[in-house]
Amino acid sequence: MVAKWIETLTGPLEQKKQYREAKARIQALPSPYRQTADALNRYLTLYAAVTDGATLVQMHSDLADLLERAAADNTPVGDVVGDDPVDFAETFALAYGGKQWIDKERQRLIRAIEDAKRDEPQ
Amino acid sequence: MASQMTEMLKGTLDGIVLALLADRPAYGYEITSWLRDRGFTDIAEGTVYALLVRIERRALVDVEKVPSEKGPPRKVYTLNPTGRAHLDEFWRTWSFLAEVIEQLRTPGARAPRQTGE
Repeated sequence: MVAKWIETLTGPLEQKKQYREAKARIQALPSPYRQTADALNRYLTLYAAVTDGATLVQMHSDLADLLERAAADNTPVGDVVGDDPVDFAETFALAYGGKQWIDKERQRLIRAIEDAKRDEPQ
Repeated sequence: MASQMTEMLKGTLDGIVLALLADRPAYGYEITSWLRDRGFTDIAEGTVYALLVRIERRALVDVEKVPSEKGPPRKVYTLNPTGRAHLDEFWRTWSFLAEVIEQLRTPGARAPRQTGE
């Protein structure tokens, strides 16, 4: 009962645990992979504006996968994100579409245009 | 990579990777190497990874984690029936585009212009 009450306030506990795990994996990365992951995470959290906890956790965890692999293989950071880090981050964010704040606005735009079309003279 | 190449690749890279996976399952690094060997020298590993995450979330591939000698397990991507259908669609679109664009290159093959004679 108590757990349920807490979860409604804080989000599912399991999800929080997974989120902390992904964070911990990123903090455990050696330099310069940790800084890279932190920077990308910051941008992705703001840019993608994911509205659903599970997707946000998945995004963090996928990023941890990528940079853990890069650290293990000693892949230079530049080879991981390419010449354009912004483009990379935004391409990455595309995978999590459908769960973003902007999706609601996209639906609203589509509906508004549909409504406008109905007012067109025949 | 020149920015025109980057822009053009954006629409086709999904299809290219699905076509690669149609031959055999592969992990991310193999796909990146394959692309680099064939002239996409500047392609970033992360770009390919982002694409793989995307096609995984769209359920076009099945993913299996296999242990690796060093570091975390590697994800091996296998094309599934949904992915195969998507690839067929990609080839149809590609053939159409390639044909139309190629026609533009040969002036004689262009649609005859109205001369007003």
